[in-house]
Order: sequence, then C-alpha cells, then structure tokens
Amino acid sequence: MAEATAPKPSSSVKLVLLGEAAVGKSSLVLRFVNNDFQENKEPTIGAAFLTQKCNLPTRTIKFEIWDTAGQERFASLAPMYYRNAQSALVVYDLTKPTSLIKAKHWVAELQRQASPGIVIALVGNKLDLTNEPSNSSNALGEDGDGEAADGEDADGDARKVSTAEAKSYAEDEGLLFFETSAKLGTNVTEVFTAIANAIPETSLKGARGPGAASGTAGRTEEQSRVNLTGPRDNASKEGCAC
Amino acid sequence: MESLSDTKWDVLISGTGLQNSLLALALSRSGKKILHVDENVYYGGAEAAFSLQEVDEWLEKIQGDISSKPFRNASLWKAEASDGTAGLSFSRAYTLTLSPQIIYSRSKLLSNLVSSKVYRQLEFQAVGNWWIYDGETEASLRRLPNGREDISQDKSIDNRAKRSLMKFLKFVVNYENLTETWEPHADSGLAGFLSRKFQLSPSLQSVISALTLSFEPSDQIPVKWALPRIARHLTSIGVFGPGFGAVVPKWGGAAEISQVACRAGAVGGGVYVLGTGIKTSETVTEDGEQLSKVELSNGENVKTRRIVGKNTGHDLANLKSVSKIIAVVSSPLTSLFQSSIEGSPLAAVSVLVFPSKSLPEGTAQPNPVYIMVHSSETGECPSNQCVLYATTLKSDNSKAVLEAALSALLKSTEDDEGKLLYSLYYEQEQQASYASLDLAFNDEILQAVEDQWKTIMADDNGTLEGSFMQFEDREGMNNDDDDGDEGF
Repeated sequence: MAEATAPKPSSSVKLVLLGEAAVGKSSLVLRFVNNDFQENKEPTIGAAFLTQKCNLPTRTIKFEIWDTAGQERFASLAPMYYRNAQSALVVYDLTKPTSLIKAKHWVAELQRQASPGIVIALVGNKLDLTNEPSNSSNALGEDGDGEAADGEDADGDARKVSTAEAKSYAEDEGLLFFETSAKLGTNVTEVFTAIANAIPETSLKGARGPGAASGTAGRTEEQSRVNLTGPRDNASKEGCAC
Repeated sequence: MESLSDTKWDVLISGTGLQNSLLALALSRSGKKILHVDENVYYGGAEAAFSLQEVDEWLEKIQGDISSKPFRNASLWKAEASDGTAGLSFSRAYTLTLSPQIIYSRSKLLSNLVSSKVYRQLEFQAVGNWWIYDGETEASLRRLPNGREDISQDKSIDNRAKRSLMKFLKFVVNYENLTETWEPHADSGLAGFLSRKFQLSPSLQSVISALTLSFEPSDQIPVKWALPRIARHLTSIGVFGPGFGAVVPKWGGAAEISQVACRAGAVGGGVYVLGTGIKTSETVTEDGEQLSKVELSNGENVKTRRIVGKNTGHDLANLKSVSKIIAVVSSPLTSLFQSSIEGSPLAAVSVLVFPSKSLPEGTAQPNPVYIMVHSSETGECPSNQCVLYATTLKSDNSKAVLEAALSALLKSTEDDEGKLLYSLYYEQEQQASYASLDLAFNDEILQAVEDQWKTIMADDNGTLEGSFMQFEDREGMNNDDDDGDEGF
C-alpha cells in the first residue's frame, strides 16, 4: 500500500453532529478527541468546533467536528452548519425510542439539504445502560434531564430500541450503523474510522460543495484561502502525521 | 426541552442581521443570558444569502408587502431554457447574497473575528483585481494599478501623470498629518481637488474616485470623506498577502459571518429561535426590578431586562436607497480574475467600477455603478458561471443603468460567450445609518456593536469588566493542529 517513508496525503473532512438533546453527541466527540468522559455534563454544549486526526493506511483524515451548540433545540440550526459537510454523525439514545424518531428526521433533513454524497453514520449511544446492573442508580451525566434511569428493567437493561430495528433502518437508508458507549469508549473510534474509510477519495481532492464540479481537481480550495493570522508553514504541518 | 419563559433573560435581541448577531456573540460570551429571535426563518436579516428557491420565497414576501423594509420593488428575470446550452443549475448550487460587501484587510471586524476565535469557522478569499470601465478607449476595461510598483510599470499612464499620481498617493497615505493640504477643501468635491492640487487628469480622477466606492459622482464626493477611504484602500494592500487589500467570506459574504456569530453565540449559552418575532411588550416590576414582559409571535411570554430591536424606529428624512441587481452569468469570466502579482492567492472577487457618465450613449448615467464579480470559488455558483452584484444609487432609470452596465461588462470581457441566465432586481433603503448600504464593510457598524455592548455590560455595577470580543478558547477545544495530532 503506502510507502512508509513518504508522508501520507492528508485531507480535512467536515463532520456535523446531529440528534436530539441529551443523547450524548458532545460526549461522543469528547471521547473521540480527548479520550475523556464527563459525568453530569451540562446540556449546553461546551465546544463548537474540534479537530482530530484519523490515520488510515493510505491517508490521514483530519476531522473538523462541528457541534450544534444546542441550536437544534428550537429548530434554529444555520444552513452553514450542514453545508459542505462530507460526513454526519446522527446520534440517538438507545434507551429512548423518541430519539430514534428524531434521528430519522435528521437523516431525512440531511438527504434533502446536505451535499449529495455525504457519508452518514447512525449511532445508538448509551450502550453501557444495557448491561450495567450496578449502574442503575447513576443517572448518566450526558442526560441533563435525568431521564436515563427511568423505566429501567429489573435486570438493569434500559434498552428500548433493538439493534435489529435500527440496523435495518440504517441499511434501508444506506447509513453506517454503530451502537456505542461514550462513557466506556465502546465503538467510538470505530465509528470515526468507518466514516473516514467511507469518504470517497474523489470528494477529498479539490474544492468541496456544489461549486466544485468534477475535473477541477487541480485547483483546490487552499489556493483561494486567505489566512488571517499570518503566514504559516503548511508544509511542515502537513508532513507531521504522527 | 426547557421553555423560554422559565428564564429571566438579560437581553432579548430581535433580528439576526450582522450587527445584532455580533452583539449577541459579544454579550453571550461575556456571560449575559441572551435570547435571540428572528421573525424570518433564516439568519442574516438584510444580509441574508439565499438559494434560488429561497430567493423565490423572499421575492414573494417583498412583492406582497408594499411597505416592506428595507427591500422594495423586487423583480426576477430568468433566461428561457434553451437546448444545447448550459442554463441555471439546481437551486442549492447557488448562494446569492443580499450583501456582497468586501472587507478591507485593516477593518476591525477581521481583528475582532480573530480575537473572538470565530474566524476559524469562516473561510476568507481575496478580492483581486479592480477594473474601471472607460467607454471611450478601445480596451474598455482597464485594470487599476495595484500599488506603486504596478503604477511605474503601467504603460497606459505617461510619465508626467505618473509623477502626479505618485505625489498624490504619497500624500493620501499620510493625509492625517498633512491637514494644511486638504482641510481648506474638506467639503469640496474630490474631482476638483485632485485636479487643482495634484493636476490629475479626468481619467486619473475617475480611478482615484473609484477607490472610495462612493455612490455619488466624483465631483460630489466630499474630500474629507474620500481621503480616509482612499488611504484605507492603499494601506490595506499586502496585509494578508501580496496583490490584494480586501477579503470576502466564502459561501455568502456577511450572511456567513452572521451565521457564525449566532452559532458561536449559542456556544456561549445564547438561545436561538427562528421564525419568531416580538409581538408586544410591556414594562413590569418584579422584585423591585424593571423588566419587559414580551409576547413572542410563537405565543410564548418571556421576561427580559433589555430589548434590542431590529427596528431602531426613527424615520429619518432623506433616507438613501440603492438599486441592485444580482445576476448569474454563463461564463467564469476568467480574464477578470487573472493576477499579475506573484504569490497572490487565487482571487474570488473582482470589483468593476463604471464612473458616472461612462456608459455608452443612450443611457443617462448620473451616478457610478459598481459590479462585484464573484467567481465559483466563492461557492456561490457552479463552476463555469459567475455571480454579478451590481449596485447604483436609486434614480428614475437606475434599473436601466444597471442593465446597461451588465451588458457593457459582458461585451468588454474576452469571454464573449457569457450570457445572462438570471437577474434579480431590487431596491434597498438604508437602515439606521448609511453604513448599512456601504459596499465595503463599514467599521461604524462594529463601533455601534461595541457601544451597545459597553452600555449593557456597564448596566449592573457601572464598571466595565472584560474586553470587547476577546475570548479565550473554551475548555475542550484543541484547534491548533499541533495539539490534535495524537490520532489513534
């Protein structure tokens, strides 16, 4: 595959996060970016824009992760939020069936509004609540309104959305599908690696978005970008794929 | 979902135009509880950007409301789909902005976007060449010299004129210290001043006047207003790289900044509700505190310490209006964007100036016309097309003038296959100040935001803490490439 000595090509990929409030969107990203989890995280989302690199055998993908900053609560997400996104993470809480309905709504919205060819991953989060009997008294921090523990079965399994149901929906819509636990770290990096692998090579070169038809690969967005914070040594940065 | 009425808001802001969006950002990141609403279902107010379908909806609204402000008399023309030629693409392939402002490199807006860290979510592109239309010469579009080195190499200017021009340029970048030269003429017209004091020819007078982006003809531009603008143009060149002095945000200009500011405001804890305006408000006293009780158009009642409305209310006399056309053309007009400056970025915007009375005979043209040409690099149209934003002061025949200027432009570029595919005409009235119509972002707007911010922040204790638009990175952010390199 790639020669070990040559620096791998590196591309930025915009990823947007969508899903009902308190399903753990920000927690998934925090786990991915900082390998960290905060219990009782405040519902107001802390960071709006994070980056993390993902090393594939033949290339490096730098995710630019856009958090919704809670703007989805009143249906006031800006168009710029979806625009140009090459990937989306649509999250639901597998203990909360209404959150899957909301997730389906976001998938439809993306299919209608986002760039054609966007890679969408459907993620059922809070997998830890399905098999953690000892955790029953611990309202999971991601869930600001404390509903996580409600209706928990006697055996500690709070799952309300079956894997089969969500998976078959994802297959019908052509989505990647995972069940994760941001708290335990289960499947989190796997989601992002799968997305990175699914991004078509063609959408990485050249400008993104509707203005970029095929065949203009030679002129990338970088040539027209103006840096407001002074000249940077891009070459040395790009070469550092550690 | 929490309800809006449970919170006692510090400030309720109505309208998500650029000014209000920047204010919401500044206040929310300074710890104020902000509820930001907009009666429109989109962000940006008078600075919004639209897909073709959204233009249709906007148009319907403007046409159905004769008292509509600040936009009026909108009408749309589309080329008939003809076989064989590429016409308009799909609706979302376009982002047409109502506010195609350029931002000079030295504008405080850019330093504020950097200090507040929100620039990271924006992408800026260069405003490259400036062209001036001269109906009397054969090559009817002349590229404006880009700095002094360029002038010395310009063969179209004779040596004597070059010396005069250099003398003026040397003066104008230092005009603040050379008051004796211009103060006696502060209120005179620019053209006469350039002619008397610097012996500049009418053609060079037009060139200098073009740099002011004034809506008035060159003999009516007051010297005291023109000099700072010319100086701004000249001193901005090279700040962010060779060959350009202004930038434009990708994907829809000021609309994009509004949206980013609102998003960042939401990160700071602000709550956003679109499609909702202020219906009524009354003053109530609660626990000895005066509050406004506001009924929103979505039926909710909220309480707030302050309201920042989008209608400043006062009906000023002599409100200026401009006429505008947004046109889509079936050619990339490549020749307009070519750069002669080594190392300059690929320009996404070119500025074309038609001085007053420069259009071919048959069109009475009292005022200059400006056309901002946006290439597909801006993300506003598909490749192989361009978006043209034409503006002139509103007059009896301003629509015909704009159309004549567009057609003169298409005739005089080398890319003669360019055809008009789409043309949206409208008129825009100034809002609180003239600055709202300015073709270059006017720092007065930012000053107004800072003044509002200071007033509100000083509310409680009379002393002001923190600095305007200076924010630290929030916890959990690792934007610097070097920090995020661990991978996995």
